[in-house]
Amino acid sequence: MTSNTERTQRFNELAESYSTDLYRYAMWTCGNDALAKDLVQETFLRAWRALDSLNDVASAKSWLITILRREYARTFERKVPKFTDLDTVVIVEDEELEPDERTERDLLRKGILNLEPKYREPLLLQVVFGHSCMEISEQLGITQSAVMTQLFRAREKLRVQLQKDGVTGNVHELF
Amino acid sequence: MSMNFSEFKKLMGADPKNRDPATLRARNSSPEFEAAAAEADAFEDKLQAALRIQPPTDLLNQIKGISQQPVRQRSWIPFALAASLLIAVGAVAMVWQQSHQWDSVEAYVADHYAHDGNAAVAQAGEKLSEQEITKILASLGATADKQLSGSIEFIKYCPTPDGKGAHMVVSTDQGPMTIIFMPKTRVNDGEMVKFDQMYALLINLENGSAAIIGEQSQSVESMVAVVRDSLKTGIVGA
Repeated sequence: MTSNTERTQRFNELAESYSTDLYRYAMWTCGNDALAKDLVQETFLRAWRALDSLNDVASAKSWLITILRREYARTFERKVPKFTDLDTVVIVEDEELEPDERTERDLLRKGILNLEPKYREPLLLQVVFGHSCMEISEQLGITQSAVMTQLFRAREKLRVQLQKDGVTGNVHELF
Repeated sequence: MSMNFSEFKKLMGADPKNRDPATLRARNSSPEFEAAAAEADAFEDKLQAALRIQPPTDLLNQIKGISQQPVRQRSWIPFALAASLLIAVGAVAMVWQQSHQWDSVEAYVADHYAHDGNAAVAQAGEKLSEQEITKILASLGATADKQLSGSIEFIKYCPTPDGKGAHMVVSTDQGPMTIIFMPKTRVNDGEMVKFDQMYALLINLENGSAAIIGEQSQSVESMVAVVRDSLKTGIVGA
């Protein structure tokens, strides 16, 4: 196998493993489906150019997230992206939902987009990527106790939002 | 030592998938704990389902198409585009600066941080070369010794109320903090400015001043000595 073929195969494996989660992370970070797609493509473009600098496959996920976060910051510096109304985003569900479940899920999604970045970001790293608190702490450059506090508050805010909108389900008095 | 219910609820709110032995023991320690764990699990399932959106169907193929591009492409087009972008970004920065006349240093700091403070923090993350830091600070008549320069992860020029300054992000054991160096501006030394859940501590330096900005959970005061000792200002030909 030529080194170019190996390189391409390595890159494609990264794309298959992480593109979906990176898109989810980007979408919930920027709140705009078109920008999220651009961010993920730009992330992989930079990753392709710098692939030889990735020595440890185990760190690929964090490496890609770092590239995406920087790319988003650059975008943000140029122009503050406009949040898309969630109703206009086509979200393909992988399951049939009852009307109540649909309403609750929509409210939860709006709540996530409305979270301040300091709460939303660690939550996304934890739930979308399965990062541990230590990994989030390293990724964001904040202490583990700050991570724990922000994660707790993020969920608390979502719970309060659901209660405020009259959807309590079985999340009442959780936190 | 076993976890009390309040600690357990906080843990479930922050890290519901935690499966440390102590957490597992706590989850089953009483009906009250079991119910709280079940509620946390149910909420987590909903959260995961809400976030699990499907990417556009063509995304993966488009990404894979990237690997068809040559790794090193050197043509004038990217450079021309980059140059155009640089000019555009510069123009935007100039317009922003010219359109902002601040009533006070406090208003400037809050406005400046709101403009790109978070983006700069997000962009920081790698140690910069000594040369890059020295070049910017020297042009502003300042130098930074290793104690400060070794922790600078982002630096760029920025507007200040009295001309050009430097916007830096430094890594600290409390997470990243921002320092805005204002070479020609004097401040009310020791004044604390609060805005958008952030704190900015204003300090005068030998010449000019600095704003040390951090989240409310961080102690910006801890950076005062570092900045005062390390950032030497008013150096002609620095």
